[in-house]
Amino acid sequence: MNEQRRQILQMLADGKITADEAEKLLDALARERPEPAAVTMPKYLRVLVTWEDPTDGAGQINVRVPLKLLRAGVRLTSLLPPQALARANAELDKAGVPIDLTQLKPQQLEELIEHLDDVSIDVDSTDSKVKVFCE
Amino acid sequence: MIPQLVTVRAGRHRFFVPVVPVALLLSPLLLLAVLGGLIACRVYRISALGALLGVGRLLWALPGARFEIDDGHTAVRVSVR
Repeated sequence: MNEQRRQILQMLADGKITADEAEKLLDALARERPEPAAVTMPKYLRVLVTWEDPTDGAGQINVRVPLKLLRAGVRLTSLLPPQALARANAELDKAGVPIDLTQLKPQQLEELIEHLDDVSIDVDSTDSKVKVFCE
Repeated sequence: MIPQLVTVRAGRHRFFVPVVPVALLLSPLLLLAVLGGLIACRVYRISALGALLGVGRLLWALPGARFEIDDGHTAVRVSVR
């Protein structure tokens, strides 16, 4: 709580101002407060892989994918015919991944992409590093 | 915006591919590909309009994509602008 707000509440508690006046003062204070700075949304998903090979030397893979591209790809999945999804389900089941793709709704995939900006994955091993993040 | 320029760097060589002129040059083949796609949509009972829109969205979202691989001996970089 900031100092001005505390003062207003103190004045109300002391009976120097009425509840209506306190409300008006608090409203005025809220209006005076500057708008919070706009949060910049990440635009890209970055995948960065670096490794050290004793024979071939160092290597690097750097991929930058626009999040818009991921969204567009996700929207394309809604076009998949049900028989293709059923076959994909059967293959996933055979591979030990019991995911029912028919239950995945485009909105859920959209939400998944929306929340990708919070994702940050770091994998460090002795000779390689993998970083996945949004920027 | 659709992709304007694809830059491919392989080792010391660098290629600039202007997308619109190349697409215009290959337009007869592209037309055939679109027709093939429409037939495939019909066969697999997929909405042709939805598929066209989806592919269009993918194309529009491509600018900004970048792929780099460097393993010491070879280095390939592809960027779409």
